Amino acid sequence: MPAKLLVVDDEPRTAQLTAELLRRAGYSVDVASSGTEALELIRSVSPDLMLLDYEMPDMEAPEVLDSLRSGGDRIPFPVIILTGARHSPGDQVVGIERGATDYIVKGTDRQVVLARVRGALRERASAPGAISRGRLHLDAARGEARLGDRVLKLERRPLLMLQLLANRSGEVVTRAEVLDQVWGTSYRGFEHSLEQAVHQIRREMREPDWIETVRGIGYRLVVQP
Amino acid sequence: MHRLRSTLARARAELELARTDGDPLPVDRLLGDLREALDLLGRVEAAAFQIVAVLVLDDDERLAELTARGLRRLGYEAESASRMRALRPREVVVLDLGLSASLDADQLVALRAARPIVVTGAADPASRALADDLGASDYLVKPVELEDLAAAIKRRTST
Repeated sequence: MPAKLLVVDDEPRTAQLTAELLRRAGYSVDVASSGTEALELIRSVSPDLMLLDYEMPDMEAPEVLDSLRSGGDRIPFPVIILTGARHSPGDQVVGIERGATDYIVKGTDRQVVLARVRGALRERASAPGAISRGRLHLDAARGEARLGDRVLKLERRPLLMLQLLANRSGEVVTRAEVLDQVWGTSYRGFEHSLEQAVHQIRREMREPDWIETVRGIGYRLVVQP
Repeated sequence: MHRLRSTLARARAELELARTDGDPLPVDRLLGDLREALDLLGRVEAAAFQIVAVLVLDDDERLAELTARGLRRLGYEAESASRMRALRPREVVVLDLGLSASLDADQLVALRAARPIVVTGAADPASRALADDLGASDYLVKPVELEDLAAAIKRRTST
């Protein structure tokens, strides 16, 4: 099934042209022409990714992000902000700090646009959803983790990290990727939390061989019999 | 600024002429002009807002884009590529040493002039020598933390 994208822009030609570019790349695309319409649409069709115009008459991108986030502390799908002008670095960080994944300056080469969409969707691919790997059963969205019949008591971030490793079972996931996808917006000072998360996962699983440390690179989930 | 205006003026003249004469549009030329105009506008904006442009070069495309996205989150205008491309004025280059083997002589000259920040998987003397040969302004060993990379970019742009 193609990924479902939502394009939000108050300027109809821009919205249609962006949608067309994405449709030709094989995505299924919905269009909203205001922040309010986008928020309504999201309730009925939950998109895999949203491309959001920064400046719209009814609300600016940070407000849309705030509304989406109310309730939980992470937006359940990646959001790429489209900015009409290069804002000062401070402005760009505003959208990013409020939960956006990335931004694209309008007029950017289409290949670059598609590459950024692919990159953000990859993040989505490792997002919560129930999975099983051998005796390990996870459903991070519901906050559930089991090894065989035993329930694992994991905090949210260790659980999300375990889910990320399980989604890419057998593959080395770099520390940078874990920080990017589990801790989200910030890198600074989270190294220690990452190690604590690994420690908690190993302690709860009681079988340390499930999580292999690949020195200097990252971690790998190795399914144990 | 001057070049931006003349590029846009040229595109407009081209369009007006085509309308008057009823000629088919010179699509490729117009597209080229618009691309150039956007690129020039980007440089004007970058100067006005003091935005630092960064090119992350790594043969691992996925890692390059992840790094570039991290830098964008910090406010840099970062792009990723798995192959060397023409550099923009004052663009800071972050180069994975593994890529240097695939470069031709002209690309090497351009890279040396850019004084790249070199990132490498190995801290051995040979890599070090190669980095020196590339005129590296900084030398970081993987895994590179984003904040260390940002610090290297700050050092590079303040000299």
